Amino acid sequence: MKAELSPRMKTALYGLMCVLLIPFVFPTWWMVTSSVKPISDIFAFPPQFIPQHYDWTTYSKVFELQPFVQQYWNSAYIAAAVTIGTMVISSMAGYAFARIRFPFANTIFMIVLLGLLIPSEVTIVPLFQMFLKAGMVNTHWPLILVPIFGAPSVFATFVMRQFFVTLPNELEEAARVDGLGRFKIFHKIALPLAKPALASVAIFTFLHSWNLFLEPIVFLSSADKFTLPQALTQYTDAYGGPMWNIQLAAATLTALPVLIVFIIAQKQFVEGLAHTGLKG
Amino acid sequence: MAEVTLSNVRKSYGAVDIIHGVDLEIRDGEFVVLVGPSGCGKSTLLRMVAGLETITGGDIRIGGRVVNDLDPKDRDIAMVFQNYALYPHMTVATNMGFSLEHRGTSKAQIAERVKWAADILGLTHLLDRYPRQLSGGQRQRVAMGRAIVRDPQVFLFDEPLSNLDAKLRVVMRGEIKSLHQKLKTTTVYVTHDQVEAMTMADKIVVLNGGRVEQIGAPLDLYDRPANQFVAGFIGSPSMNFLNGTITAEGFAAPGIVLPLPETAHQWRDRKAVYGIRPEHFTLDDNGVPAEIILVEPMGSETQVTMKLGETQVTGVFRERVRLSPGETIRARPDLANIHLFAADGGQRLN
Repeated sequence: MKAELSPRMKTALYGLMCVLLIPFVFPTWWMVTSSVKPISDIFAFPPQFIPQHYDWTTYSKVFELQPFVQQYWNSAYIAAAVTIGTMVISSMAGYAFARIRFPFANTIFMIVLLGLLIPSEVTIVPLFQMFLKAGMVNTHWPLILVPIFGAPSVFATFVMRQFFVTLPNELEEAARVDGLGRFKIFHKIALPLAKPALASVAIFTFLHSWNLFLEPIVFLSSADKFTLPQALTQYTDAYGGPMWNIQLAAATLTALPVLIVFIIAQKQFVEGLAHTGLKG
Repeated sequence: MAEVTLSNVRKSYGAVDIIHGVDLEIRDGEFVVLVGPSGCGKSTLLRMVAGLETITGGDIRIGGRVVNDLDPKDRDIAMVFQNYALYPHMTVATNMGFSLEHRGTSKAQIAERVKWAADILGLTHLLDRYPRQLSGGQRQRVAMGRAIVRDPQVFLFDEPLSNLDAKLRVVMRGEIKSLHQKLKTTTVYVTHDQVEAMTMADKIVVLNGGRVEQIGAPLDLYDRPANQFVAGFIGSPSMNFLNGTITAEGFAAPGIVLPLPETAHQWRDRKAVYGIRPEHFTLDDNGVPAEIILVEPMGSETQVTMKLGETQVTGVFRERVRLSPGETIRARPDLANIHLFAADGGQRLN
């Protein structure tokens, strides 16, 4: 039985948790509050943790200085396409590695996992040359195809495989007796049961694509094709210096959907990772 | 309904033989139980009939048709698994109708069949629930419902009661038996529990090490076991065995001479194993001396552990006996129920 904590211990514990929370919460708090401060207040000393003057025009400037709606759309549809593509590929590959016996399955799985060890910076130049030859530079294709067939998909395959390994064999055998073939077993039995793992794959794939920075910078050159992380770097003055408050307003808008998705789906995210045996 | 025939069925994993040529005839509508200790190959054999395991040699026929290379779905069988194997994301009704849905049956017919099966098994009020909302016994009934809804030629049960507690197991045993009496579908049932085998089967197949030790009606196996393995496996508490030699005076076991039937003298001077079931001892002043070691009153009977010469045996007495450890009693073996087995190989002699 769990021992009940005394009120004093409880207060001490919550106090400690609040202190530990500061490094995680402070950057977000600073971003949101600074987005409505005049620039001089951002750098004021002593620092203003609560804004003294509010300047809401920063948000309208975000949309005036860049095609921000278009860039928002770019990020959203690219992340959605990458998420759907990764879910399809990783669930099928994960199922195959977990449930289908074929020669060298474990060796092939190890080779696939090795993909996680190659930093994306190493492959970016050859990828650029490849997409240049294919006429896909300054299009969104590289930002969709590279994650779907790259490291994020490998990680997602690993997560899905770890989940499918835990499904009882008898379920599949019952389905075989019930008249289902391999694909239908995957589609009707395994996949519906894999919802928690699939949800976590969806969340971290979406986050990865949403936050992608290096690839857009390398592959995209026109402002109307930019994604949000790349667009954030464009809020500069005539001398190239950052317009901090506008940039932070844009950053707040960029982080908003991710925060909402994470708050809604954090249970699935943690459950899905728990299935992999990995810690978050 | 159909008969099932296994002819010289074998199974190997690489160089390791698991099933060594099993021959078995199961008549139409018969309830056959495959029983044996863990690792004897009974589940493998059942899974070979189901088509979930390939066979290395021989033929399996269902309804006269060789099914060696057919998928499970084409064998017209239904199987109940040890862990129920209900689809967790489907309701009871969907679980039960799932196989029909994939065989192109109309929705109206599926609903009708599911209702019929649910009525038989008392599941009507549970049709909208999910497996996680059911007790063990209810899940087991749903698994049976899923099997009967399709009206297959053969039912296969793979240790279906082993996850239930002792009391529920007795209830479900009765339900499966009465279901079989109602539907009269050919049934192959695997268990390691000889009580289940004895109470349910029309015919028992005792397996050991991938070989059939004996096939027969439950009481035939009990009364005339073909060898020492079957004699020891069937019956609870199990048969007592004493090693010794058949002599003119009787059976000479270490420290004691036990009486033998007249017919046993044809094997005089032969080393043998003397087998006697616990209930075939009677308290009698003309019996052999037995030192009491342990007394276990069960209410309906008294189980007594005692020493016959140097060998410890169990006796079961129906009457209320007042015995205490250390006391010496006289117990008479019932000569009509003595089993003699060859000392080498354990085959039955008498």
